[in-house]
Amino acid sequence: MTPRVTKLVLGLSAPILALLMAFLITSAVLAAAGDPVGEVWGQLLSVPETRNVGNIIDNATVLYLSGLAAAVGFRMNLFNIGVDGQYRIAAFVAAVVAGEAWLPGYLNTVLAVLCAMAVGAVWAGIAGVLRATRGVSEVISTIMLNAIATALVAYLLREAAVREAGSNVIATKTIPEDSRIPNITISDGPPVVDIYGFVVLAVLAGFLFWFVLNKTRFGFDLRATGRSTTAAVASGISVNKMTVAAMMLSGAVAGLVGLPILLGSSFSYGSTFQSGLGFAGIAIALLGRNNAVGIAVGALLFAYLNEQSNPLQILVGVSPDIVAITQGTIVLTVVISYEVVRRYGVRMEQQAVARALEQERDDERAEVKA
Amino acid sequence: MRRSTRLAALLTAGILALATAGCGDEDEPNDDPTTGSGGDSSETADAPESDIKVGMAYDVGGRGDQSFNDSAAAGLDQAVEEFGFESEEGEASDGEAETQREERLRTFADAGYNPIIAVGFAYSASVAKVAVEYPDLSFAIIDDTASCEPFDGSDPVPNVACLVFAEEQGSFLVGAAAALKSEAGHVGFVGGVQVPLIEKFQAGYEAGAKAVNPDITIDVTYLTQPPDFSGFGDPAKGKTAAEGMYQGGADIVYHAAGGSGGGVFEAASEAGALAIGVDSDQYNTADPSVQDVILTSMLKNVNVAVYEYLTEVAAGTFPVGTNVYDLSVDGVGYSTSGGLVDDITADLDGYKQQIIDGEIEVPTAP
Amino acid sequence: MSAPTVEEATSTGAPVTVRLRGIGKRFPGVIANDDINIDVRRGTIHAIVGENGAGKSTLMKILYGVQPPDSGTIEIEGTQVSLKSPADAIAAGVGMVFQHFMLADNLTVLENVVLGAEKLHGIGGAARAEIMRISDSYGLDVEPDRMVEELGVGARQRVEILKVLYRGARIVILDEPTAVLVPHEVDELFDNLRELKKEGLSVIFISHKLDEVLSVADEITVIRRGTTVKTVSPRDVTARQLAELMVGSELPSPSTETSTVTDVVLLSVKNLTLAGVDGRELLKDISFDIHKGEVLGIAGVEGNGQEELVESIMGMRHSSGEIRLDGRDLAHESTGERREAGIGYIPADRQRHGLLLDAPLWENRVLGHQGRPPSARGPLIDKRAARADTERIIAAYDVRTPGPDVLARALSGGNQQKLIVGREMSSEPIVLIASHPTRGVDVGAQAAIWGHIKDARRNGLAVLLISADLDELIGLSDRIEVILRGRMVGTFDPGDVTPEQLGSAMTGASL
Repeated sequence: MTPRVTKLVLGLSAPILALLMAFLITSAVLAAAGDPVGEVWGQLLSVPETRNVGNIIDNATVLYLSGLAAAVGFRMNLFNIGVDGQYRIAAFVAAVVAGEAWLPGYLNTVLAVLCAMAVGAVWAGIAGVLRATRGVSEVISTIMLNAIATALVAYLLREAAVREAGSNVIATKTIPEDSRIPNITISDGPPVVDIYGFVVLAVLAGFLFWFVLNKTRFGFDLRATGRSTTAAVASGISVNKMTVAAMMLSGAVAGLVGLPILLGSSFSYGSTFQSGLGFAGIAIALLGRNNAVGIAVGALLFAYLNEQSNPLQILVGVSPDIVAITQGTIVLTVVISYEVVRRYGVRMEQQAVARALEQERDDERAEVKA
Repeated sequence: MRRSTRLAALLTAGILALATAGCGDEDEPNDDPTTGSGGDSSETADAPESDIKVGMAYDVGGRGDQSFNDSAAAGLDQAVEEFGFESEEGEASDGEAETQREERLRTFADAGYNPIIAVGFAYSASVAKVAVEYPDLSFAIIDDTASCEPFDGSDPVPNVACLVFAEEQGSFLVGAAAALKSEAGHVGFVGGVQVPLIEKFQAGYEAGAKAVNPDITIDVTYLTQPPDFSGFGDPAKGKTAAEGMYQGGADIVYHAAGGSGGGVFEAASEAGALAIGVDSDQYNTADPSVQDVILTSMLKNVNVAVYEYLTEVAAGTFPVGTNVYDLSVDGVGYSTSGGLVDDITADLDGYKQQIIDGEIEVPTAP
Repeated sequence: MSAPTVEEATSTGAPVTVRLRGIGKRFPGVIANDDINIDVRRGTIHAIVGENGAGKSTLMKILYGVQPPDSGTIEIEGTQVSLKSPADAIAAGVGMVFQHFMLADNLTVLENVVLGAEKLHGIGGAARAEIMRISDSYGLDVEPDRMVEELGVGARQRVEILKVLYRGARIVILDEPTAVLVPHEVDELFDNLRELKKEGLSVIFISHKLDEVLSVADEITVIRRGTTVKTVSPRDVTARQLAELMVGSELPSPSTETSTVTDVVLLSVKNLTLAGVDGRELLKDISFDIHKGEVLGIAGVEGNGQEELVESIMGMRHSSGEIRLDGRDLAHESTGERREAGIGYIPADRQRHGLLLDAPLWENRVLGHQGRPPSARGPLIDKRAARADTERIIAAYDVRTPGPDVLARALSGGNQQKLIVGREMSSEPIVLIASHPTRGVDVGAQAAIWGHIKDARRNGLAVLLISADLDELIGLSDRIEVILRGRMVGTFDPGDVTPEQLGSAMTGASL
């Protein structure tokens, strides 16, 4: 096998191993809970309807952005637990800006997107600065910032919201129609199925993530710092600057998380705006091994499982917790199987080096004899 | 509203039936005349059978939350037992996407469930959207009127019933009770999450208390702000908030905080003061050690609303439009268990009558 | 026990206590052990020498029960044993003194010795008595109630030896014991070892310092590439012959050449002072110039400010005073800017400061040179050019690897170091800071690295050389400064200084 093929086989074996393990563990959990194992898998593995495909893609788009945001930090060994707060505060600001419509049409949209990224970056940057200047663990500070974001958004929402009498949902002003991102129709129906137009931007974000991290000097510095802070310092990388920059980049991507929903379906930020996406993003980044394509696969898998939650409950009669257990199991098995495969890979490589040296030694012996 | 009279007749039976159902030995034949008038249901006491499949979409927590969802579930159970419906349930998970709520309703719809009941205002937009997609099916939503009275003034969705409660009216009565019983002239209100729905409780409570004593001091606090909904399920927060009020001089605290209310009762017990429960008669459901601090409870009979709705369905009619469960139909009220309000029931019933008669108009926002 | 064969090693007479036959280890790494055969006799010091990576550590791990051999047999005192853990080894009478001491600083000597061996003599008077008995009979001069943190390196090492003896070892393995010692401490250690063998113990002494081996050992076994090459008596070989056995080829040596020192100052340090966190001065008033074509060697016992000095010059620590590179004030330049201004840096701890172990070699080529061709083109990393240049380094510096895509972790220490040296030289620096450039590197790689430094010096490079290897310092430097407790305490001419003189200066004895 050429090294390239070996690498590919190793790369594929980890997720396959993980899914297999997840399948077995989940089946065991189902059997223990007395649920119909066969029916559950029958439902889980059934081909989704176009309508569901649309939902899966929509949901995956949001999860993908969240996964990317978390992955930027992970690549530098920074645990940005605050994606959740960052995206909510960013989506709120974007909703207010877009709702006010100071600029016409798509200029308004662009402004809202930029505002969201800026707000996310600043919010995450606080944790970055605290880490760089005061050594505060970003895990602690981002968790705290999540709580602050929640309270702040709630407060501002009540100040900025348009209140509909009798409604329990308070929300910002609705974004004018000419500033919304048009959906993409994937089936003319009936029923007509649309997906978020933001999908395109998410794909672009994924490409930029790959490009910046793998092809640029900034990305190299970021990854080098993640691999070894001490070596990064000695190589001339300013770890403090990188910490702030990486947190801000992570926050800027986090700022995008809520926008597909905001600009594609809800058109306002209300008290029922989807929460918890940041935490799902952490799991998805782990699942996708912080890799742009891997995160996409992870996001689709999570979205798919989420989509199956309702039919599992209603048609099969299984608790929705099973879906959560399956998701958790997959993350766990992926982490474990990647580590197993990684160690195997390192061993193979060391053996290859040893073989190369042995070859040399044999050659030498041959020379000596000659 | 136009159904109010008919519903009123049903309610009495419903509450009675529920009370017995709660004892677990419900074998009472359904002799309600209104149900009989449906004619074609033809269910009997012994072998109720029906080809109606009810889909029930709960909010986060689902059946077993000892609160709002459970109350709705009780209404469903009663109807199922009585009319022989088939039923299936689904529940929301925390932080799910709007599409998942929609999809829950669609899954019911595609699987032949009709009617479909959505529990909680979180389904507001989903019901409005999905009901339009399935015009031949009937939907109901509890605690929200967006489909029945769209804010933008457009036509209501024709196949949705909005089951809402006049929480402010019930809260008015317990507010009056608090003011009548307060020796300090100082009471408190602990809201779970500051959403308009809970602000209705606050508004009614304040109005009721001020009706009795215009100079009364009322402390108000909310445990969390949306989108943090933990204020409905965090007794520790409830306790801390109530402790503060009792230390500040209040002697009666009313909570509209779901599961956090247990903490309010604890605080009352430790302070030797009183508290007021919410939604169900909490004298019966709270921990016995704090039973004696529960002055009364504001009753919000979600079970009754669900049962009522399904009774009509069994009778062959699918209600639509807004149904307000107010004092006049005993959709809300106050409880008397424990006997602490026995001496003031005359006053309270007086206020109740004034509200029913329209002499007192209770505000819905503070 | 009397010791009839004290003074001279004999290959006859004394019975064999450790007999290794055909030991083999297929190890998933760079070097495996292959057909190792050694006899260690009672009452002798048996040295095992070999290049770094020749398989000495693997062999010692096998003998101490850390790893099982794949093939071959171990006999101790005539009985074949199977050592599955260090506990088995201790039970069989084998004890090991590691290069890095395993002592708890905040416990006393007595506490450290009895820790984990409480069952032998308790923790009280009996233990103290036993410690004193061992200390006296082997001349270890241990004070049981001193805190370990107060002890010097030599004393700590004696505590480690005592620990091993306390546990009943009859065979003591010492892994590179002199690496951390200054010359007079080495002499004391050797006296202790002679006491041990006088009492009938066997000492296995691992080293690559051939002079020491020749002075202390009774028998010497040379290991090369995982296999035993030859066992010789020190009387029959010279250091050079030993080295040639180790390398298997003609050996280059660090000899001073004609001076290439010019009067152009490339690196000028003035009044460099660095305060530690507790206000104590880690560096005080350090001043020196390094000229174009000059190698300035810094001698000192480790921990006297060498690392701080290097890191201050590199901008990794904020010091006061003046640092000028070719006349340019570096006060406000970052580490990255200093590197780009022309400082090459070979860090002392290559794994922590020099490499990304889990990154491929080509990315390690980029490390520290992100802003310059061939690593980068504008803001982008130029992978193709970086890979090509890595290939060049692999060829020019004889880095043994299948290719530039191998992870750095997969290479042996010497090959990792050659990659670093190659990398730092390839950006054509004007000043090279080389901190222990050949530490833990085999003789072959060492010679190659010396050669590269000398070539660069000839071409006008200014080198700051920090090393614990006094021969290396004397052999490469044009001038040697001795650093002690953060101060420069003496300048020596490598032409007429001996390692002993340097050693005294390093410990402050001559002041």
